[in-house]
Amino acid sequence: MAKYRAWLGVILVLTIASVVVITKIPTRLGLDLRGGSQLTIQVQPTAAIPTITERELEAVQTVVEGRVNGLGVSEAVVQQLGNNQLLVQLPGVSDPQQAERVLGGTAQLEFRAQRPGTDQQLQIENQVLQGHLGELAALQASRPSNGEINSDTQARIDKLQAEITASEKAVAALFEPSTLGGDKLTDAIARPTSGTLWEVVIQFNSEGGNEFAEISKAIAGTGRTIGIFLDNRLLSAPTVAVQYAETGITGGSAVISGNFTAESARDLEIQLRGGALPLPVEVVENRTVGPTLGRDSIQRSLYAGIAGLGLVLVFMAIYYRLPGVLADIALIIYALITWAAFNLLGVTLTLPGIAGFILSIGMAVDANVLIFERTREELQAGKTLYRSVESGFYRAFSSILDGNVTTLISCLALFYFGAGLVKGFALTLAIGVIISMFTALTCTRTLMFLAISLPQFRRPSLFCPGLTTARPDPVRS
Amino acid sequence: MKLNIIQQRSLWWGISGVLVLVSLMAMAISWQQFGAPLKPGLDFAGGTRLQLTRACVATDSCTEPLELAKVRQVLGDQGLDSSSLQLLGEDQQVLAIRTRTLTVDERAPLQSALDEAIGPFDPGSTQIDTVGPVVGKQLLVAGLLALLVSFAGIVAYMSLRFKLDYALLAILALAHDVIITAGVFAILGLVLGVEVDSLFIVSLLTIVGFSVNDTVVIYDRVRENMKLSPGSHINDIVDSAVNQTLARSINTSLTTTLPLVAIVIFGGPTLKYFALALIVGFVAGAYSSIFVASSLLALWRERTGQAYSDDPDLSEAQPETQS
Repeated sequence: MAKYRAWLGVILVLTIASVVVITKIPTRLGLDLRGGSQLTIQVQPTAAIPTITERELEAVQTVVEGRVNGLGVSEAVVQQLGNNQLLVQLPGVSDPQQAERVLGGTAQLEFRAQRPGTDQQLQIENQVLQGHLGELAALQASRPSNGEINSDTQARIDKLQAEITASEKAVAALFEPSTLGGDKLTDAIARPTSGTLWEVVIQFNSEGGNEFAEISKAIAGTGRTIGIFLDNRLLSAPTVAVQYAETGITGGSAVISGNFTAESARDLEIQLRGGALPLPVEVVENRTVGPTLGRDSIQRSLYAGIAGLGLVLVFMAIYYRLPGVLADIALIIYALITWAAFNLLGVTLTLPGIAGFILSIGMAVDANVLIFERTREELQAGKTLYRSVESGFYRAFSSILDGNVTTLISCLALFYFGAGLVKGFALTLAIGVIISMFTALTCTRTLMFLAISLPQFRRPSLFCPGLTTARPDPVRS
Repeated sequence: MKLNIIQQRSLWWGISGVLVLVSLMAMAISWQQFGAPLKPGLDFAGGTRLQLTRACVATDSCTEPLELAKVRQVLGDQGLDSSSLQLLGEDQQVLAIRTRTLTVDERAPLQSALDEAIGPFDPGSTQIDTVGPVVGKQLLVAGLLALLVSFAGIVAYMSLRFKLDYALLAILALAHDVIITAGVFAILGLVLGVEVDSLFIVSLLTIVGFSVNDTVVIYDRVRENMKLSPGSHINDIVDSAVNQTLARSINTSLTTTLPLVAIVIFGGPTLKYFALALIVGFVAGAYSSIFVASSLLALWRERTGQAYSDDPDLSEAQPETQS
């Protein structure tokens, strides 16, 4: 019995830990439950670039990320999907129309000369902008892990966002319009110079080279800068040395140097390359759910889950008596551990995911049903209570294992091939199946053997109603 | 209760045969009507679905159901006459519109025109789904691939744990469950206009995973009984295996179906039909495991001269050591 007492301790600790995890780490909810937009963006190949490679997709991703940041949606996610798509998640986006408009379309990269006499203004505007960006980053970073923030902070974030947009506009206004766009940029490469410093080499086609020579000639030595804008946001503003005042930077290529680290040089490189890509992006899928609908779904799922759990609990207790009650306890422990596992592993719960969880409640008792049916058979065959319970567990095991493995195979196939929502279902069901193997075997087993070690529970009629042939059990514990 | 599986097998096969036939016919009719065996939903067909809810608390204008005629007029103005409309919700205050795939620049004016004509709508309760044709095809291909792969995976696993003939018969039973579930939804599509989306394929996969479970339990028992009484005829072994596992088969299906019933009752529209598909599939799965997979195994073994098992494989099947 000492073995089972130890197990009981483990189970208790696990249960308490699960409750702590559930209360401390909030559940991550999918966009269909908390409200928001999920967009799939397809990168369209063009005559010039007939196939999209990893390199191009990465470049487009940075462009899209830049646009997403401009939307001011917190916790937005941009992921690569397959080899020519991007998945953008915008939780709680207030204007899905605007979002969809901003994210589509080809990147706008421009090289623009700074207007004369704006040096001081640029410096001030830039400082203001950096200040706002810094504060915003700090606010985002201090956000609690569940994403819930109070309304004051949210108001501040919204205000900052508006001010950043205004600042960016103000900065852009300090530069002259230009025809030198990303379509004339052929490449951008980050490379190390001396020591730990890096620089970025840019290359234009012949037309772009000429235009760049003119722009650089105009500002060389004046202290004014060339503004490199991506979607109207200033990426970099290098000056041009006085020695180019005569001819400009000719030859179609230039080096941007400065205080680049390997990382910042690489960032600029990818942004420039993304801006240079004449690849149109198109929103091919949009799933938007309003927050009220999401809340409604959560509530309905909660009712369904509680009702489902309740029905199973009642059925098990009535049909299987004492073992049924013990299985019910194991089932509740199962639900707690599984929920905690979702929170701990950071599983994003979607609506189908919740359905998978509710379904797994019904499936979780399957192992117990198998065991208890087997125990009854053994009792009816005249075995002692202890032996019957023992062989019930032993003999049912191979069926339990086979059954769960086949379910896991389906989950794996779903997870591998399925898209977003489908993956959520497969993941929750799989986690549920694995945890149910533990609770249905270990928890129920421990509880059962502890129960039959107590004389008042050692009556076969508690295990199998209508049993007449069984002898009272001379249990040794 | 004792079931005579083998004796009455023509009855069991007859029932299954009729159900499969009706299902296939429903899918054939559906093919003529929709060009697909089941009525394809937004996920597969592509298009835009807008769900708008009138903002009731704010305006107090919710006594009348939404006027579909006005909606049609707005749609006509936008050149979207062929769209389908539906009113949802208890007070018919929720409008669902299904159109061809709309770009954001087509959708925005439609939404504001509707808002003006019969709104205002509550932005928090708006749902927008747009699926481009490319994505629709992707989803369908991915779903069918997942289904095939999981069939193959199950055959491989069962051949490993049992023997190939068990595996193939189990797959036959699974095909039976999948066809009947699809048939029920083909009928629902023809009668009530119910459409199938990605979640339907998910439900088919779950049915596959779960229903093979039932079959495995019975086959497991068949194998065990063969070992315990080597001289018995396969028919007797199957009969007693099914009866020994009958209570388990029924109870497991019941405990799994109970939460699904709760979802059908309480769940939102998305999950309702998902849960319904699962219920249909699980019931068909329980039936096919108990009556079809078992009797097919007996028939197969009898026909291939293995009615009395002297299978060399069996001797190595897990020796029992009481712990």
